[in-house]
Amino acid sequence: MESIVLHKQIISGNEALALGALVGGASVITGYPGTPSSEAIGYLLRNPLPGVHVEWSTNEKVALEIAAGAAWAGQRALATMKMSGLNVAYDSLISFAYSGCTGGLVVYVADDPGVTAGMAEQDSRGFALMADLPMLEPSTVEEAYRLIPKAFELSEKAGTPVFVRMVTALSHSHAAVEVQTEFTPLRREPQLIRDIAKYTKAGAAICLAQHRDLIQRLSKAEEVIREMGINQLLVAPKRGLGVIVCGLTASYLEEAMVALQPFNLDRSGISVLKLVSTHPFPEQEVKTLFDHCDQILVLEELEPYIETALIVAARRSKFPGLIRGKLDGNLSRVGEYGTREVVKGLAQALNIPLSDSLFSGLAADSMAAPRPITVCAGCPHRGTYIAINQAIRKLKLKKDAVMVTGDIGCTILGMNPPFNTVWNEVSMGASLGLAQGYVWSGVATPVIATIGDSTFFHAGIPSLINAVQHQASLTLIILDNGWTAMTGMQVNPGTAIGAQSGGHRLDLAQIIPMLGVDWFFQVDPYDLKATTEALIDALPRAGVKVILARRECAIQSLRRTGRAGRVRQQAENCNLCKLCITTTGCPAISLTENSIVIDQALCNGCALCAQICAREAIVRQEG
Amino acid sequence: MDRSYDIYLVGVGGQGVLTIGEILSEAAFQSGWPVNFYPTKGMAQRGGFFKAQLRLGRETIGPNIPERSADLVIAMERSEALKAIRFLKPGGVFLLWDSVWAPTAVMLGQASYPSLEAVAEQVTKAEGTLLTFHPEQLPPDQGQPGSDNLFVLGVVLAATPLGSILPAQQVEKVIESRWKKGIERNLLAFRAGREATEYPRD
Repeated sequence: MESIVLHKQIISGNEALALGALVGGASVITGYPGTPSSEAIGYLLRNPLPGVHVEWSTNEKVALEIAAGAAWAGQRALATMKMSGLNVAYDSLISFAYSGCTGGLVVYVADDPGVTAGMAEQDSRGFALMADLPMLEPSTVEEAYRLIPKAFELSEKAGTPVFVRMVTALSHSHAAVEVQTEFTPLRREPQLIRDIAKYTKAGAAICLAQHRDLIQRLSKAEEVIREMGINQLLVAPKRGLGVIVCGLTASYLEEAMVALQPFNLDRSGISVLKLVSTHPFPEQEVKTLFDHCDQILVLEELEPYIETALIVAARRSKFPGLIRGKLDGNLSRVGEYGTREVVKGLAQALNIPLSDSLFSGLAADSMAAPRPITVCAGCPHRGTYIAINQAIRKLKLKKDAVMVTGDIGCTILGMNPPFNTVWNEVSMGASLGLAQGYVWSGVATPVIATIGDSTFFHAGIPSLINAVQHQASLTLIILDNGWTAMTGMQVNPGTAIGAQSGGHRLDLAQIIPMLGVDWFFQVDPYDLKATTEALIDALPRAGVKVILARRECAIQSLRRTGRAGRVRQQAENCNLCKLCITTTGCPAISLTENSIVIDQALCNGCALCAQICAREAIVRQEG
Repeated sequence: MDRSYDIYLVGVGGQGVLTIGEILSEAAFQSGWPVNFYPTKGMAQRGGFFKAQLRLGRETIGPNIPERSADLVIAMERSEALKAIRFLKPGGVFLLWDSVWAPTAVMLGQASYPSLEAVAEQVTKAEGTLLTFHPEQLPPDQGQPGSDNLFVLGVVLAATPLGSILPAQQVEKVIESRWKKGIERNLLAFRAGREATEYPRD
């Protein structure tokens, strides 16, 4: 047997997950970018391993289906996504849950308590409950690395897809882990199994049988989890308090205990169940706690799933003690948990009086200047937003009378000042459906939908087809910068050849006219006049109108081909009207006491400011 | 290691706060400290609020530093510094690089921006020690602006208690292995930071 070389290095939670998948022998790994999950696939694409297929798929549903197909063929496969993506993939996931799998299938979902990346505090543990699938949650970076091979093992032993859930603070944490430096993918001979009863949903009899199998697989998973020693129960020498921690709350427990030491905290009376499998419910470990404790405190972020299951188990076991957590009103369902919440839970259970100032600092945040984020210097979306605003004005419409629906990604920054263009943000691809709803509600003014290229590929295409079929009169603007930019510059089907890892590029300029839209325009958003004119032309027309505003993301363009151009100031022409700042909001332009200053290091030379300036105080530098 | 040390870093995306945190993490790791480094990426591209948390010295520790617990705050922008005050431990050190990145609304006179005195007052209220350094102190490098984040890193090691537990040579080693190009510029700023004395506050 070859010796395994280990190297201790600092890696992130997402990298730990990726490396753990390689240790576990995964040979097909798919995903769609979404903060905080993106770096797992990102790492694997930067460090390709022969025999392992890694891809950014068009959306999470597609990603999951590819991974499941590979697992049905007997390979070990991983699909990665943020919680929003799990919603997209769930339609297929419930079917895979019913069918089970032969090769190991792990679904990595990243939740975002505290909402650092904008969206919802969705607790994806609910999906594990709903789909009767096991879910494992590491609490440290190192544990993430060690847990993934076990997740594959569990998946194959119990014949079921397995969730691994992490939260932002873990996915993005960096810690030193001793990791393998070489990997051998478990490349098995692919099998083609014809089994209608397992792999189709043909009729009630088959589906009901699959439902029974599913429930059985979950109890099998509980057995396997126990055999593998995935959860840790530390029974205290003395009777007293039982504490259940899971995910990140486990990592805060020690610090909280230390903080409570000055209050004579008696650790010898505190039993701890460190739960890694949040589903299925660990009946046996919990029975031990019931026998050994007078009360049990559950420390879990977001929803009280474990606490609820514990109350049911307590009732069935006739446990007489208190169950403490969120349902008694002490701990919150909202926001990220840290040491403070763990201390609060322990203190209440143990009757320790706390000073209000413990872990409660001086709030000076409100004195800070508001800093709304905007698009980067040179961002092509800036030209599109300005053009939308100008076209609305030139058509003598009021801005408050023209609905501009928004979508996910960098394009949503059009909601912020100075543009204030975009009205709403829902989910991937929703801009187009929403816009059709406004049209059919009888809005008489033009209705505009805005969407980015990756988002359009992900979930926008079915909605555009719907608009064409039903002849909804609207204008769709696709802000095509060629990248999935907001999540850190991933490729998508439209990314340029040369930068495209997929091998083939799909050109929106060819695809969209073929979908039967009534009017199609292609513009360069750096050309403000042409973009505005296209909008003025399109907006009053009847039918489905699509404007493809195409220009590569400034950051990527700078890396690949250099800056777009240069502008120079003719200060003698400047009357300090500040139009360049109030219209573009470009981070490269600032105002000093008596002049405008353009930061040449930041400026990409898009020259939108030069096109805004009415006095030639900023001009395009030729050559 | 028998002690722990928590560092809370704030600034504006593009200032290189992430780099400071990464270098300190790597240097601490190479010095044998258990490390957990948690930069909050979120939507903090160039120009947005950025924060990171570095927790040294404990094998198992949650990523987030509780309020009133950071031994050291490193703030790279005056207004954003205010968001770190709640995390400062009483008796902790608050290192402020007093640069001003005015948001558009402030530039246009539509929103107010905090004075240095206001920040100082809050740090005092939080029972911290404020150390202020100023962009004027950064020496230029061949006519170009120097590397401000490396300067601040030098200041951190020279002027705060972290310097006594993290050897500057270890940090220099990390800096040298990190960049193929521009090492000289970065080392110049780092060393200048180590020589810098606190900026007089009037």
